[in-house]
Amino acid sequence: MDSNFNLKITLPKIPDIELVAIEGLERMGRFLGITEDKIGEAKIVVNEAIINGFEHSGIENQYVNIEFIMTKEELTILVTDYGKGFNPEEVEEPDISKKIGGKNKRGWGIKLMKSLSDDLTIESGPAGTKISIIKKLT
Amino acid sequence: MSEEFTLQTEKVGDSLVIKTGGYINNVAGEKISQVFSDNSNTDVKNAVFDLENSKVINSIGISYLLEVIELLSGKNGKIIFLNLDPSIEKTFKIMGLFQFSQTADSLDSALKVLT
Repeated sequence: MDSNFNLKITLPKIPDIELVAIEGLERMGRFLGITEDKIGEAKIVVNEAIINGFEHSGIENQYVNIEFIMTKEELTILVTDYGKGFNPEEVEEPDISKKIGGKNKRGWGIKLMKSLSDDLTIESGPAGTKISIIKKLT
Repeated sequence: MSEEFTLQTEKVGDSLVIKTGGYINNVAGEKISQVFSDNSNTDVKNAVFDLENSKVINSIGISYLLEVIELLSGKNGKIIFLNLDPSIEKTFKIMGLFQFSQTADSLDSALKVLT
């Protein structure tokens, strides 16, 4: 069997649907012998990317598409929503010392995705957002 | 796939020991935060979180843990985490949670730190 696996899922906006994507990721990773640590980190990245997608998906199109391309060496994650988009440059770097005692304790998604991956690209506009992530698995 | 979120609490002195099971998302985070709101007028000032059975967490769930940290910091309390999955521990490190909390190897050692 080919050692390059591809999984595409269209996720509707319903509670905990991100776990479906995470389940697929875990199964592919274990089949390929990826370490539990790397799978665990990838799960966090995928979870945050999907949450981000749903937050920007808007009311008209409450779906997020996710695609995984996985080899033993590398995982590519593509997350697309068709919402109103956002400007990644306007996203403030979160600082825990400001979050503790501050009103807004959220806003960690992009920081976590960046920190736990090897490359992250965000393309966003009025027709939607596409996040492309590469994570080394070795 | 992760099962239904569960939450067990036990009061030990002025500490609350919280053992979770399942996915810590926004709903689970609210439940955790509610436990501490319910105890806001008691002598509880410390928390021990045993996350052995929670292998998936998201940043919204963690934001509720920040609320708990804020609440207990206001009482000069401490927060200790047990049995963190390595990916969750790494996530907490990235976010800086360990500036306001710590880990322990066991419940006994956690409670020794708190007494």
